[in-house]
Amino acid sequence: MPANLGEFEQLVLLALLRLGGKGYGITVQEELGRQAGRNVSLGTVYKTLFRMESKGLVSVHLGEPTPERGGRRKKHYTVTLAGRKALQRSLAALRKLSRGVDAVWELP
Amino acid sequence: MNPARWLSWLIPASEREFVLGDLEEAHGRRSALRRTWELVKVAWVCRRHRPRHLYYSLITSSRGDPLVTTLLNDLRYGLRQLLVRPGFTALSVLTLALGIGATTAIFSVVNPILFESLPYPNPDRVVRVSEVDKDGLPNGTGFATFVDVKTMSTSFEALAVNSQWQPTLQSNGDPERLSGQRVTRDFFAVFGVPPALGRDFTAEENIRGKHRVVMLSDGLWRRRFGSDPAIVGKPVTFDGIEYLIVGVMPQTFENLISPSVQLWAPLGYEVSLPWACRTCHHLGEYGRLKPGITPEAAKRELDLISGRLVAQYPTEYVAPGMLVTPLQVVLTRNVRPALLAVLGAVGFVLLIACANVSSLLLGRAMQREAEFAIRGALGAKRGRVVRQLLTESVMLSLVGGAAGIALAWVGLQGLKAIAPANLPRLDAIGIDTGVLAFTAGLSLLTGLVFGLVPAFATARPDLFTALRPGGRHTGHRSKRVLRGVLVGGEVALSVMLLVGAGLLMRSLEKLLSVNPGFDPTNLLTLTVQTTGTRYSTDEPVWAFWERTLEAVRAVPGVTMAGITSQLPLGGNFDRWGVQIEGKLLDNPEAAPSADRFSVSPDYLQTMRIPLKRGRALTVADAGKRPPVVLINEAFAQVGWGGEDPIGQKIQYGGPDQPWRTVVGIVGTVQHTALDLDQAPQLYVPESQGQFADASMDFALRTRGDPALMAAAVRAAIKSVDPTQPILNVATMDDVVSATTRQRRFTFVLFQVFAVVALLLAAAGIYGVLAGSVTERTREIGIRSALGAPRAGLLSMVMRQGLALTLAGMAAGTIGALALTRFLQKMLFGVGARDPLTYTGVVVVLLAVACGACLAPAIRATRVSPLEALKAE
Repeated sequence: MPANLGEFEQLVLLALLRLGGKGYGITVQEELGRQAGRNVSLGTVYKTLFRMESKGLVSVHLGEPTPERGGRRKKHYTVTLAGRKALQRSLAALRKLSRGVDAVWELP
Repeated sequence: MNPARWLSWLIPASEREFVLGDLEEAHGRRSALRRTWELVKVAWVCRRHRPRHLYYSLITSSRGDPLVTTLLNDLRYGLRQLLVRPGFTALSVLTLALGIGATTAIFSVVNPILFESLPYPNPDRVVRVSEVDKDGLPNGTGFATFVDVKTMSTSFEALAVNSQWQPTLQSNGDPERLSGQRVTRDFFAVFGVPPALGRDFTAEENIRGKHRVVMLSDGLWRRRFGSDPAIVGKPVTFDGIEYLIVGVMPQTFENLISPSVQLWAPLGYEVSLPWACRTCHHLGEYGRLKPGITPEAAKRELDLISGRLVAQYPTEYVAPGMLVTPLQVVLTRNVRPALLAVLGAVGFVLLIACANVSSLLLGRAMQREAEFAIRGALGAKRGRVVRQLLTESVMLSLVGGAAGIALAWVGLQGLKAIAPANLPRLDAIGIDTGVLAFTAGLSLLTGLVFGLVPAFATARPDLFTALRPGGRHTGHRSKRVLRGVLVGGEVALSVMLLVGAGLLMRSLEKLLSVNPGFDPTNLLTLTVQTTGTRYSTDEPVWAFWERTLEAVRAVPGVTMAGITSQLPLGGNFDRWGVQIEGKLLDNPEAAPSADRFSVSPDYLQTMRIPLKRGRALTVADAGKRPPVVLINEAFAQVGWGGEDPIGQKIQYGGPDQPWRTVVGIVGTVQHTALDLDQAPQLYVPESQGQFADASMDFALRTRGDPALMAAAVRAAIKSVDPTQPILNVATMDDVVSATTRQRRFTFVLFQVFAVVALLLAAAGIYGVLAGSVTERTREIGIRSALGAPRAGLLSMVMRQGLALTLAGMAAGTIGALALTRFLQKMLFGVGARDPLTYTGVVVVLLAVACGACLAPAIRATRVSPLEALKAE
């Protein structure tokens, strides 16, 4: 049984899915800021990516060097099958748990 | 240079390219600072991510020399071991930093004083020459004797005398009283330091009448003369007299005889002067020996000369003989025992720190036993493993040493603040290259010392037990014993330090409870100096003292005021040979000597010096009335034994002085120190003195805090004559406590060291017991399952810890009994084997040890049998 995902791991995985296999450090950070309103440091993003890489939740492939990066390559992250499954489980759990508690939002 | 690139090793090598690329893409090429900041943040957040990448790039492997490669491998592996256990590493580094830091701080204080040579060329040839007094102790030199010795002796390259001089500078701004020396011509040649500007004094300037020239110190030249490079040859006025500046000494010249001195002038004595006599022992004599002449050889020569002089002038000397003492010895004699004791104490602290880390490493080694067993099984030689372990311990000690230097620097600021006034070369104390080298060496050495025991104990484990599952719970008997010995040793060393601190504390208490012979509370003291041509004869000086006393008595809050030529505990004394009528001695030099106090009549009442018999001085005892004198009880005993001295007559200051009638006997004042027996003392009314004292100390009894009266009293004195300098304003309580500074210094250091030792020892005891409880979890679980009561488990662990403590205390007590005799010189009113101190130490240590045992013992009682057995 795969390990449970942390909240930030879920966010990063969702961001990677939205970026469609083109995600890397900065774009993930930007996507999290734009879509989730989360201003996180680059270090936090890397830390999560490195950890998920070692857990096998994401896989990497290297991009081409570009001049604006000082001739350095990009490290693109793609969500693996294991990553998708883990994310599905987490989201399903969230959906199930939140079903029927909508009324709660209305309370002061 | 791009700092981001330079710092890029902080990022794991495998990720470096991508992270740097991202940073450049996000922040552009220009904002290098921003990128650097972001890079550091990334490195910090990701610091736990595969640490080998992060830190290994610090030590790049070398493909060259196999020895270097092995060392680098050891370093790399050691670094990882230290990083894997941050708690253990931090604790060890902190302990070592305490030990090494304290040692470094003390060493940097002691080094320039005891070990470094004096800052002069061929410093071992600089000596102090002294005459001897009745008891064979060093005494000052009379000018006539100096002249004879200088002419007759052949041992010295240079020989000079000096006296104190307090001129008031009256040029270039506000008048200021300076501290100076009057010296004979060769004074600077004795130290071998020539002036930086101008020239030395000439032979002609030694002659009276031509001696109005001065040499400035570098500090005075900068402060009052604006570092004027053309100062030489300019005139300057001191005490209303014009002097010519002939030179400036270099900044590097340390005047160790009298560090506060700011200028020098020729002495200008000639043998015909009354104060140049053979019995006028007020000059300090210093010499530079010729190369190859030892102080002993010089002393032999001076003894011969002295023998001839005594034969020639039998009534001018008390005994033949002179002393020749190296200056270094003279300067350090008084502080040496205290400094050596403190150095010894800090050595103990370092040893305790080493033992503590050693014990921690042993505990760690027990956990790592399987690792070494596997290495051994794979063919690692014992030496290889020992080297690996020593590399780790030396790395620990070097990091500890670096932290220790920081601690030492902080500690030094505190040390300088509490340093006793007689500590020489205070300015030379600091962390310099010598101290750094010492600390580096010390760190390496400590690393080896505390690393060797665990290294050898670990290097060859019993493969069978070490690798057997669950075997780690049994195979450590020898290491456990070793840890016990180390911790017992810590306890023993702590006992010795605590006893030392306790004895010093009791001495200080006893010293502060000494009756000084006067009442120091609510007493303001200050010195007024008469200066200028107006006060060159006696009459105006006496008149000035009268008017000043009137003025200060009128200050609201001052209830009584008196003046004296010497205040108690002020650091000076004024000693005279005294002849007793009817008991005249052929050689007046053999007569008893007494400290003279020239006082106003109400000085003794102001100080509350008790009158034991007879009458006090009154205002009527003045001027041309029959001269009277008060003596203290010690004098009555020395001079008259059982007879009644009242009505008897004494004479001091030479046969031409009047005979003074003893009218009263007063209590003894602790004048020179609280802890010394006092010489006989005599008090004469200042207006009946043989001369008017140019400088007087005021004692003012006040209502309320005397320190608050200082400004009003100053103003009152200024109202009499604004040009006369007022100095040394202090409350008598402060004066008394200043005399205990050296004891306080030693005591405070011992106290700090003892507390550190106690804490480290407690940590050691705790560490051993905690380790033992963890190790014995299964055993304790079984005992508990079989029905052992909690109290029984508690006492089982406590017994183990207390056995360790008691053994250490026994050894420590024996050590303390043997070592405290080295403290003897610093003790006062308490024996080195004071039972109360020893008892106190035992009680404190037992209490602390119980505290340290309690936590692991309680943990043992909480071991759940179920958990303990299931864990297997």
